[in-house]
Amino acid sequence: MNRTNKYDFLGYIAFAVIILLGVPFLLGFDGFELNTFARYLALAMVAMALALSWGTAGLLNLGQAATFGIGSYVMAMHLKLAASTNNPGGMPDFMGWTNVESLPWFWQPFHSLTVTLLAGLLLPAAVAGLMAAFMFRGRITGVFVAIITLAFMVALQLVFIEEQRFTGGQNGLTGLAPLSLPGWTVDTYSLSFYYLVAGCLIVALLLGMLVVRSKVGLVLRAIREDASRVRYFGYDVASYETFVFCLSAAIAGWAGMLYTLVLEFASPTYMSVSFSLAIVIWCAVGGRESLVWAAVGAILVNLAEGRLSDVFVEGWLLILGLVFILFVIFLPRGLYGLALAMVDRLRGAPRTDATLPVKEG
Amino acid sequence: MDALLNQAFAGLSMASILLIVGLGLAIIYGSMGVINLAHGEFVMLGAYVAWAMQTFLGFSILTSLPLIFVVIAFVGWLVERGVVHRLYRRPLDTILATWGIGIVLQQLVRMFIGPESRFVATPSLLEGNTVIGAVVMSNYRLFVIVFALAVLAATWALMTRTEFGTRLRAVIQNREISECYGIRAEKVYAMTFAYGAGLAGVAGALLTPLVSTTPSMGTYLVVDAFLVVIIGGVGSLIGTAVAAAAVGEATALFSMLMNDTLGRIAVLLAIILLIRFRPNGLFPQTIRR
Repeated sequence: MNRTNKYDFLGYIAFAVIILLGVPFLLGFDGFELNTFARYLALAMVAMALALSWGTAGLLNLGQAATFGIGSYVMAMHLKLAASTNNPGGMPDFMGWTNVESLPWFWQPFHSLTVTLLAGLLLPAAVAGLMAAFMFRGRITGVFVAIITLAFMVALQLVFIEEQRFTGGQNGLTGLAPLSLPGWTVDTYSLSFYYLVAGCLIVALLLGMLVVRSKVGLVLRAIREDASRVRYFGYDVASYETFVFCLSAAIAGWAGMLYTLVLEFASPTYMSVSFSLAIVIWCAVGGRESLVWAAVGAILVNLAEGRLSDVFVEGWLLILGLVFILFVIFLPRGLYGLALAMVDRLRGAPRTDATLPVKEG
Repeated sequence: MDALLNQAFAGLSMASILLIVGLGLAIIYGSMGVINLAHGEFVMLGAYVAWAMQTFLGFSILTSLPLIFVVIAFVGWLVERGVVHRLYRRPLDTILATWGIGIVLQQLVRMFIGPESRFVATPSLLEGNTVIGAVVMSNYRLFVIVFALAVLAATWALMTRTEFGTRLRAVIQNREISECYGIRAEKVYAMTFAYGAGLAGVAGALLTPLVSTTPSMGTYLVVDAFLVVIIGGVGSLIGTAVAAAAVGEATALFSMLMNDTLGRIAVLLAIILLIRFRPNGLFPQTIRR
């Protein structure tokens, strides 16, 4: 285990302790505050998913919100069905308004909780896997990955808005039932719900870190540095890239499911360009190379937004934009790079340059 | 048949707007590899300057065009000097930084001018329609098409027939060697960025009579315009023009066959396919980097 590995695991444990013990204590176990923080944790999870593909393999996925949105809709469909059991034919109310005769076949399976949970992970992964295979078999890299994923997300969002009969259109899916797990009806303003979200984030982080620190992770980082060279060594670059895209999408879908639980609705804005780029911002602020720091970035930016947007109602976005520009210019490695540099200075070791840019595809 | 021709004209009109927004982007991307996501906000600023000129000074769009070009070019120059020139070695980071600039510009407009949409009148000179057979063409849209072609021609002349164009092409081909010959690449880049931004401002001004002017009007334009640039091929002006025409006409055609949204989805999917199989665009240029 080398030095950065050690710090990463220490950071991970510190992060887990703070999330599990520190935060609930600081928030005074207040249901409303815990719910708000659970929202940040769900967003932290999608930021961490982006760091997995962007920071590790250098593949900037500007359409990360698409897979997040799919997960969120999957969960919302299940909860919507649960809320519609007393309607004629068990159909969601908006379908009645738009004259849908009977529940469409692709809504049927979501009566089952197991199917829903599996679909929330596998559907985004499958979609991302198809996109990734399509792109990476053609050795598409860099800017073109960003553009293709962005265009795909815009198209997907349009589909969700257009097919109002089946997706609730611009309004999204609202009026959801609370989630019933076996023996537990989830109250989103409770401590146990907070622990559900926090637990998911911590498990996802661990999963991501195990991948990053495995040999697969090493190959992925090599691809980030120089894809051709990895190819000459005989590795199948496209398969590695597809794998990391799928994993990242599954975690994003997972985060989307949690996000629906927290906010109690799903909306096509979860797949918008600005939301997707916001994820990129959080990731860049925290540090794209480290999953934990990407999650921290998401939490900090959203926390600041929650606190500051009350104080500077108008100016908040202005501050966010300026801070972000400064980060890109002066701290391209984000808070993670800053932390590394500080640790090195404390140890008196040769300085790590916090401003050294990350090489990308 | 008439419906088809009318739709073809609508497509051409859309293409002209895409072209004029895309040209500035194409020059910036083609010469420096910078993906300028703030381009949409330059368009938006141009529209607001046009609105301000009309509201406070009573100028029509046509008379204020030169001034709008200069003002937005200056904004572009500031952005290049302030932020973008620090990022030339990190092309993907320019996406992030320019998105941040976009947020800032949008928010400034929202704070100081207000979030509500503004209206700018069509110049009285260009009101009315021209009717050929059964095809009804608004004079203003015709003007925009002609103007877009004129801007294309002017940009081409600038790139190939002027001292500045020669320098720019030299820097694109090989920055280090050009600097050895005494070309100041920094200056060339700044001027190019300013020119691209100025074009965006002009595009915004021309758009004002056609769409409502809001602080967020640029966000969707920039995605479309950027797709046009990528399809056209890096640094190829004619490619950008052909791609704009193709996207405009395809959107109009698909919209007629299906509906507006499905048409747009179909075009986006077609664009994805195109980028996948021709990542260097329709008219790739062989550039030594």
